[in-house]
Amino acid sequence: MTERGKWHERLRVTLWTLIVPPAIWAGHFLMAYLWTAISCAKAGTFATFPTLFVVGTLVALGLISLSGWVAWKQTRRPGDSAPHQDSTDIDRLRFLAKSTLLLAGLSFVGVLFTALPVVFLRNCL
Amino acid sequence: MSLHDQDDPALRAAQEERLRAVWKPPQGLFLRWTDTNNNRVGVWYVLTAFGFMLFAGVLALIMRTQLAVPDNELVSANSFNQLFTLHGSMMMFLFAVPMFEAVSIILLPQLLGARDLPFPRLSAFGYWSFLIGGVFVSGSIFFNAAPDGGWFMYPPLTTRTDLSGLGADIWMLGLSFIEVSSVAAAVELIVGVLKCRPPGMRLNLMPLYAWYILVVAVMILFAFPPLIAGDILFEMERLLDWSFFDANRGGDPLLWQHLFWIFGHPEVYIIFLPSIALFAMLVPTFANRHLLGYPWIVLAAVGTAFLSFGLWVHHMFTTGLPKISLAFFSAASEAVAIPTGVQIFVFIATLWAGRVTWSTPLLYATGSLAIFVIGGLTGVMVAVAPFDWQAHDSYFIVAHLHYVLIGGTLMPLFAGLYYYWPLITGKKLSDRLGRVAFWMLFAGANLTFFPMHLSGLMGMPRRVFTYPAELGLGGLNLLSTAGAYLFAAGVAVICVDLCLSPRRSKAQRNPWNAGTLEWLAHPDDEDWGIRSVPLIESRYPIWDQPDFVRKVDEGRFFLPDAEEGRRETIVTTALDARPLAVIRLGTPSVKPMLTAIALGGVFIFTTYHLYWAALVCGVATLACTLWWLWTGTAEIPEKPCKPVGHGIELPLYLSGPAAPGWWAMFITMMADATAFSGLVFGYFFFWTRHADFPPADMANGPGMMWPMIALIAGLVGWLATIAARNIHARGGVARARVLLACGIVLSIAGAGAGLAGPWMSGLDPQVHSYPAIVWTLAIWTSAHAGVAAIMQSYALARSLAGKMDPHHDADLRNVSVYMHFYALTAIVTYATIGLFPEVA
Amino acid sequence: MRNPWFWLLVLAGLTACNAEQSTLHVFGAEARAVRQMALLLTIGAAVIVTIMTVLYVRAVRAPEGKLSHDRGMRMVLWMGAIGPTLILTALLIYALPAMRPRATAPGDLVVRVDGEQFWWRVAYDPAGDLSPLLSANEVRIPVGRTVVFELTARDVIHSFWIPGLAGKMDMIPGRTNRLVVQAEKSGRYRGVCAEFCGLSHALMAFDVIAMDATDFDAWLRRSRAASAGAIASRGETLFDAHGCGGCHAIRGTSHDARIGPDLSRFGERRTMGAGIMPPTSANIASFIRAPQDAKPGARMPAFPQISAADAQAIAQYLKGLK
Repeated sequence: MTERGKWHERLRVTLWTLIVPPAIWAGHFLMAYLWTAISCAKAGTFATFPTLFVVGTLVALGLISLSGWVAWKQTRRPGDSAPHQDSTDIDRLRFLAKSTLLLAGLSFVGVLFTALPVVFLRNCL
Repeated sequence: MSLHDQDDPALRAAQEERLRAVWKPPQGLFLRWTDTNNNRVGVWYVLTAFGFMLFAGVLALIMRTQLAVPDNELVSANSFNQLFTLHGSMMMFLFAVPMFEAVSIILLPQLLGARDLPFPRLSAFGYWSFLIGGVFVSGSIFFNAAPDGGWFMYPPLTTRTDLSGLGADIWMLGLSFIEVSSVAAAVELIVGVLKCRPPGMRLNLMPLYAWYILVVAVMILFAFPPLIAGDILFEMERLLDWSFFDANRGGDPLLWQHLFWIFGHPEVYIIFLPSIALFAMLVPTFANRHLLGYPWIVLAAVGTAFLSFGLWVHHMFTTGLPKISLAFFSAASEAVAIPTGVQIFVFIATLWAGRVTWSTPLLYATGSLAIFVIGGLTGVMVAVAPFDWQAHDSYFIVAHLHYVLIGGTLMPLFAGLYYYWPLITGKKLSDRLGRVAFWMLFAGANLTFFPMHLSGLMGMPRRVFTYPAELGLGGLNLLSTAGAYLFAAGVAVICVDLCLSPRRSKAQRNPWNAGTLEWLAHPDDEDWGIRSVPLIESRYPIWDQPDFVRKVDEGRFFLPDAEEGRRETIVTTALDARPLAVIRLGTPSVKPMLTAIALGGVFIFTTYHLYWAALVCGVATLACTLWWLWTGTAEIPEKPCKPVGHGIELPLYLSGPAAPGWWAMFITMMADATAFSGLVFGYFFFWTRHADFPPADMANGPGMMWPMIALIAGLVGWLATIAARNIHARGGVARARVLLACGIVLSIAGAGAGLAGPWMSGLDPQVHSYPAIVWTLAIWTSAHAGVAAIMQSYALARSLAGKMDPHHDADLRNVSVYMHFYALTAIVTYATIGLFPEVA
Repeated sequence: MRNPWFWLLVLAGLTACNAEQSTLHVFGAEARAVRQMALLLTIGAAVIVTIMTVLYVRAVRAPEGKLSHDRGMRMVLWMGAIGPTLILTALLIYALPAMRPRATAPGDLVVRVDGEQFWWRVAYDPAGDLSPLLSANEVRIPVGRTVVFELTARDVIHSFWIPGLAGKMDMIPGRTNRLVVQAEKSGRYRGVCAEFCGLSHALMAFDVIAMDATDFDAWLRRSRAASAGAIASRGETLFDAHGCGGCHAIRGTSHDARIGPDLSRFGERRTMGAGIMPPTSANIASFIRAPQDAKPGARMPAFPQISAADAQAIAQYLKGLK
């Protein structure tokens, strides 16, 4: 693979990338809450089919999957041998990537959970 | 200096002599209280918080006595309301949160192989604020003036001055003061974890306690400020009769509930995670192996932190919000159980894989897990909204929350007490008394709180000072009361154990044979913290790195000396802990204490409506702060670099994003921005509540002209400061000074123009929530403009006094950080009050 | 159950079970559904506690290396993460539909209840064609019909909770909340204020009477028509003379103030002072002379100037209002 194709491996993983998946969950959650709060308070109802919400949910799931995939690739970067808990660049990277991957899993479930209510409840009562 | 120099015992003795002199605590009846060393301040902090816990516990016992039998008349309704309000408030604000801060102030430097935290004086300031605020709040009950509106202080009961007295002000202002100290501690702990780790301790090797503390401190930054915003609105309504929560004047009581619970739910995790952090330290020790699943713990901590901000409405399930809104929070409340499950299974798997050494701390940890699991499961139950509609505000919730807090905070702290007592005092506590106390606590907690599940389901509401005999709740309540006394007796046994400790002999070093850095502490401890700052290569260096303890003790690592007679520690990079610099730490000083006293005066005098005295204290606070900063920070060192051993030379000065001070400013401003966003939330919340907002008779609001002038002044002032920073760094000192002077003028102009908008358009904040929130936003932003002027003046003065030059420009860089946030605040405020009425 | 006190508590709970104000002793469809749910959740919780206990004991007893690193990680993944996720997903799918409120139709009975410190203002059919029937501290509902409670508050936040009927709903100044319920069994029950509302929060309850639908209709008709207030008696004169009518209304008299509880049909009620005591003449008389003794913080002014005998006479008068 060319250097260009390995952008996901060259991406610098830091504390900030660690919080990308849960931040996406938070953004999605906030959107869901504000959307219902404003449409119920101002319009009294919300859409019969919440297109915007479905699109937002799919985008959030997509972004979380993407960050999870990048993290997964990075956990498989060749380097030190197991158990990957030494003071080396590669182990630190693998650790952050692993944590990001796990957080992506949790955030994915979180977004799905946030989406569930819309399946069952459709009015402002 | 080479490695072999340390072979010379005479040299080592000389180094130790110098270190001892530098870290010598201040002596004397008064001066000893000016100490800032984390060990001492941490111990005062712990003892004070423990004292408040005992006090709040006694309040609970009085309540349980009152409720032992139906229709009891031991205490009046008035006293009972004060008792439960103070019990909850104290346990939360004066025990659980400060206790975690206190324990962290003691442990963190040890865990990180640092001599002290980066801002020891800030810790001392936090402690004195906590002590003053705590005594003020808790002492009020002796004057029958304690807050009596519940720890949640729902308006309008608490904002109507005809329904609630001074107690509400004492709660609001006294605890606001403590919230300030909590934010101070959060700044200290975040910077400590990110910047003061020993070389080699990369993020993946950090002790899990530090991970948890990092996460929790960040949570404080986002959780406490909404409450501070709420406090501001609350006191504006109480003291000045502005309308925020009064439904007759366009206010809404639910705004407070939102702001309170945005704080209140993360708060639960703020006090729960540090206790789990103690488990993460002691479980590996007693399993005699590395913790299994380190990244899983990081997942759990970070995941819980995020999810905990999506739960607040589950305290408002019965407020009549749309069911679908409730459902989002119900779903998130279920999701938060996942990371909790992960943590528990990490501990179980670690114990399973290791060789378990049974011990008193592990006994406590086991007991608290058992209690916590029950509380967690009832938590899953009440997260189901229909069940909560029945359980909410009933004794079922009392049972649930006490299972969570006893299992998730109190008992783990006792586990930590038995585990870390040898670290602090060099002596072990009694295993026998510890076990006796444990069983009393365990049985007592279950006997007290298990029946409450039933009494709640049988229709007993919370916060009742009595209940009729016909309801048949007498038996269950009597059991609860008996359990409470048993629990209290257990606490008493622990106190006896602590009191006997001075008579016991010293334990050996590292008595539990643990693997983490804090156990380098010697029973006959010196005040310097760690003898030399080690190079870390493992998560459990004492177990894994050969000869580790001896090398540290013999000063074979970094910074084994204090040649210049200064208190120092090493600053490293946030990700990989590469050494960056040696920083000079604050020495014992009376300034933090004076600042805390002055600030306390502001809050306490305001409570009693003594506004002139409060103003004097406010000026004194500002003066003390400036004096403290001027004399104690961003000092230009006598030489640019110093050797720290192993041929490494490190600079003695840092500015910009590498410096702890910059981070402190950044983090403080994050908290500030969060509080501000709470106020902005208020504006838009009112907007959703009213069909016409602004109301028709004030449709122009503050107009467009003044807000835009204020915005432009703010933005130009911001640009001037940034230009001053850049030009200054390139050597243009004179031009930078001129720019700063312009910035000062612009900031003052921005402050004036910001207030001119609502003033000139005659908005009266007492008639409706719209003018009230507009005024609040304008005042907030103008106050920030005023602080900006002070900061710019400070930087200018530092430059003129020769305390700042192009190579030592930390002050100017920190002011720039402030200015970024000020500019952001101005944009949001003036767009909201000036432009939003045009588009909405 | 590993908790040694559990069985003792079950015993204590069962022997002392009250039938009037309990989520376990239900008379409404909503409360029954929640009780069902609570039972399921409790069983689930008990199973999980048992599993956790067994696992923990095995973990502590297992010799070193019994669990390899990889198997340990698999345990965390499956039992710590995936297992809870599946259980919670199932729970959500079960619980979310249960949040839907009962459907209402235009003809459903509306009962408006206002919370006040420390009593309940009740109005049947407040928006109907006929003038609403006012009452206080007692709610009557027909069995088998959908009833919509419109809940609000005048002074501070209260919460309307009839444990045997349905979950609670807050009463918040400036907001009107709806609680839709259906009673399934007639009888006398009790509701309470569940949100802390000040000094006498503990003393703010009300009677709930679920009646057969035909009885309810008859009662509503009878009560609307009745004007029992004008009973010429010494008590009535005193009631008038001491200005009680400045706050209290009695249907059929000139007293129509809306500050305090409506006293029409007071003699019909089973309790007084918002569900805190039986309406004996002695209780009524002492409440008139010193309401704060029975109910700290009550808004009604004390009337110590009324002699005990006069207060008794007023009490007699009130008891006669049906």
